[in-house]
Amino acid sequence: MQSKLNRSELDQLAAHYELQRDGVDTLLQLAQARPGRRATLDFLARVLRIGGVLSLASGIVFFVAANWSAMAVFGRFALLELVLVACVAAALVKPPPSSLGRAALLLAFVTTGALFALFGQTYQTGADIYELFFTWALFGLPFVLLARWSVSSAAWLVVLNTALMLFCGLHPTGGMLWIVFGSPHWQPAYVLMCAAWLNVLLWFVFELRELPSVPQWVRRLAISCAFGFGSWAGITAIVGDESRAAGALLLLLAAMLAVFFYARYRRDDIYPVAVVMGTFIIVSLFGLGQTMEFRDEGVLLILAAWLIGTSAVAARLLTVMARNWRGEAA
Amino acid sequence: MIDTPEVGEIVAALRDRGLLKSDTPLPFTEDNHRPWFVSLMTGAAGWLAGLLLLFFLGLTLKPGSGTSIFIIGVVLLGTAWMMYRAARELVFLDQLALSLSIAGQFAVAWALLEDAHSAFVISGTVLLLQFVVFAIMPNYAARIIAAFFAVIAWIYTVQSALHPGNLESFFWQRESDAVRTGLAWSLISWLLSWAPLLALAWYLTTRESSWMAHARRSLARPLLTGLLLGLACGGAILQPFAMAFFGTGIVGLGMNWYALFPLLAIAVAVFAAYCAFQLRNLGLLGFAVFAALMHLAKFYYLYGTSLTWKSVIMVCVGVALVGVSLAVKTQVAREAP
Repeated sequence: MQSKLNRSELDQLAAHYELQRDGVDTLLQLAQARPGRRATLDFLARVLRIGGVLSLASGIVFFVAANWSAMAVFGRFALLELVLVACVAAALVKPPPSSLGRAALLLAFVTTGALFALFGQTYQTGADIYELFFTWALFGLPFVLLARWSVSSAAWLVVLNTALMLFCGLHPTGGMLWIVFGSPHWQPAYVLMCAAWLNVLLWFVFELRELPSVPQWVRRLAISCAFGFGSWAGITAIVGDESRAAGALLLLLAAMLAVFFYARYRRDDIYPVAVVMGTFIIVSLFGLGQTMEFRDEGVLLILAAWLIGTSAVAARLLTVMARNWRGEAA
Repeated sequence: MIDTPEVGEIVAALRDRGLLKSDTPLPFTEDNHRPWFVSLMTGAAGWLAGLLLLFFLGLTLKPGSGTSIFIIGVVLLGTAWMMYRAARELVFLDQLALSLSIAGQFAVAWALLEDAHSAFVISGTVLLLQFVVFAIMPNYAARIIAAFFAVIAWIYTVQSALHPGNLESFFWQRESDAVRTGLAWSLISWLLSWAPLLALAWYLTTRESSWMAHARRSLARPLLTGLLLGLACGGAILQPFAMAFFGTGIVGLGMNWYALFPLLAIAVAVFAAYCAFQLRNLGLLGFAVFAALMHLAKFYYLYGTSLTWKSVIMVCVGVALVGVSLAVKTQVAREAP
């Protein structure tokens, strides 16, 4: 749906040529800056369909969360399993890339998670909440792969990162992952960097494979999650009372360099570079604050100046890079 | 200079149609367009730097009275204005000006509202301050931020005019007002808060070519962007913590219509997404979709009714949306050549 020119360029053209309303109308039409009736109806149909499927999915999740006592355990399981079977049947009758097949498989993915939640709720398995999300991400993956749809891919990525966030944030002392991360060598900053690197690797796979079901916006979601964890790890390593935390910072630096150079090599999306620079600004700000130990109010001025300086340099670099890459692509 | 091939093509087409003279040169302006995420990063950094500057000035100068804080605020705003005027397109000064402007706004608001307790007075003053900043600051990003905060301040101002109280009640306890006043009054106050904003967004979106042909585009463009941002997430910013304090005693009761209000917030966010689509603005579209999902989470946690009822509501909404989607798709197929 991209226009040939962005709005600020169109505004500049309208101002430069002092175009009247008719002229601006023609300008917008030539730049394909306004969608036509058909494009608008297509957009509405797509938004309503996705909204409808997500509403049905949240209806299923709300139902499990309600733990409705008026319905027996058997009935609850039977209801969810019937929904799952119906979704799979619908996807078999109208397989992806048909809209029905994709929507049915997304619903199947959500229902899988709801079934695991119902199982845990009913039998009190003692599993940590992160285990529910990991299991959901693992067993729901076939539906996501079969759906070949960006919305399903994004939903899977959100579920996986929710699991990682719960694992890293709550520091659970039990569960399957604790077998690996239970050693005292695994300090929180390193665990967070594992989550960050997992997302970085996924981003690399998505970039290299160029899967239609993982378009640019989903890849951006993956890299945002990666450096969300990366920033968290960096701050934890700097602020936390941890020995050997420098290794986590090196891992973060490696991730930043890898993503920066790969994005620079591809030269098709400036977003990963922006995320890397944003991470640098955040982590370096905490590093500077920690180094100066907030001795007096002058530190606040230095931090403000650092923030203004680094963000201004980053904005300038990104603007120039975006302009050059766009020029090369044209 | 805007020298992409697209510009050349479009200018040539405008010449062919007689809208430009044949010897009209290409515009000589540097292409300094910032992608939305770069604007977001610089805006957030400017905001945080503004707060740090304000704390620094407060601790260093130790202003003893409201008047001195007010003077500091006005000086900061004046300096920001001069920087914006004098150094357009210089990113460092832009960032510095944004930080000074944010610090100045906080200082002025602090001085004016030092002894204020009424939610109406507080939100109304912030609204007026945002109007002033929007009108005088000659910078696109500063105007977007002012428009965004003006939208939030507007909602709080209308709500506090209709339900007088202190600001604290608007963060923590508003749901009890809604239950007391009933559905009709809640609906009216919702309409008074949101309908003017929706109408303005619709007007600016559909009349884009009209205001683009005038100098007021420098105001209308950031106003529309800030407005759509505010519409997308305003429903969640209003009473952000009310969900946690609704009272567990209400869980499991029968239907409480107030629980449906987050669904209206989703509808407003979807409307913002529609406007963003009309403007071909992918960043705004993504933000509106994210905001809609955030409202859905709020609907889950807001204990206006039982989760069983919410489940039924969502299934009904889902079936209705899929039905309308099929109808629209049929219409598209019918209109296809």
